[in-house]
Amino acid sequence: MEKSLTRERASSWSWILQAVTGALLIVLLGLHMVVQHFVVAGGLRKFADVVAYLSNPFVFLLEVAFLIVVTWHALLGVRAIIFDLGLKPTTERKVDVVLTVIGVLTVSYGIWLSATIVAQGRI
Amino acid sequence: MSVEVKPKPVERKPAQWINLRGRRIGMWAYVVMRLSAIGLVLYLFLHLVILSQLAVGPAAWDDFVRLAKSPAFLALDLILIVGILAHGLNGLRLGLIGFGIGVPRHKIMVWVFLALTVVLSILSALAIFSEAK
Repeated sequence: MEKSLTRERASSWSWILQAVTGALLIVLLGLHMVVQHFVVAGGLRKFADVVAYLSNPFVFLLEVAFLIVVTWHALLGVRAIIFDLGLKPTTERKVDVVLTVIGVLTVSYGIWLSATIVAQGRI
Repeated sequence: MSVEVKPKPVERKPAQWINLRGRRIGMWAYVVMRLSAIGLVLYLFLHLVILSQLAVGPAAWDDFVRLAKSPAFLALDLILIVGILAHGLNGLRLGLIGFGIGVPRHKIMVWVFLALTVVLSILSALAIFSEAK
């Protein structure tokens, strides 16, 4: 029985990264949700509460780590869906570059935003 | 004697994964995974846009929080939670199977994780809407 082969190369690092970031997300997202609901009575809703919460350096690092992991996982997933269209290897490399740029921009924005929010508390 | 086997390229339609006619639960799980993924990626960027209101100032943020307490918004929150649960639990199953854990009982795992998703979704709905009285 002849097995028909597709053009896919065996590229399993993306799968493993998906799995690892996914597992980390179960923890990080769980933490994020618990904190949003329980760190302050009634949930983290008031502006002052949010600023105070994010001003804690450990919290800041945790939220940035969460953003990095979630963005990475998300863009790896987008990559998988796009690559499923069956593109030429050169096109796939271009997609990789674009997604990496989007990832870097997203994380950079998130870090800038977090720092700006914390700075609000010092006004 | 050498046998030359030329690999036949599989004919693919780009969106053929989304056609569920005649497919079984495994394919349904695959589609749920992808659709929830797309939804969650869109949510990720939406969330960052919304959080940008915090940089604008307390007034802008309070305006948003007021909106966020409306029943319509809570309904969207519930859709988000269901999407997170479906994607996360399904993903957990895929991760376990991918690392060789539970493979002989995969069929059961699919149904167990589906049941978990449904139960947690109902609990979330109760939690969200009991608070919104």
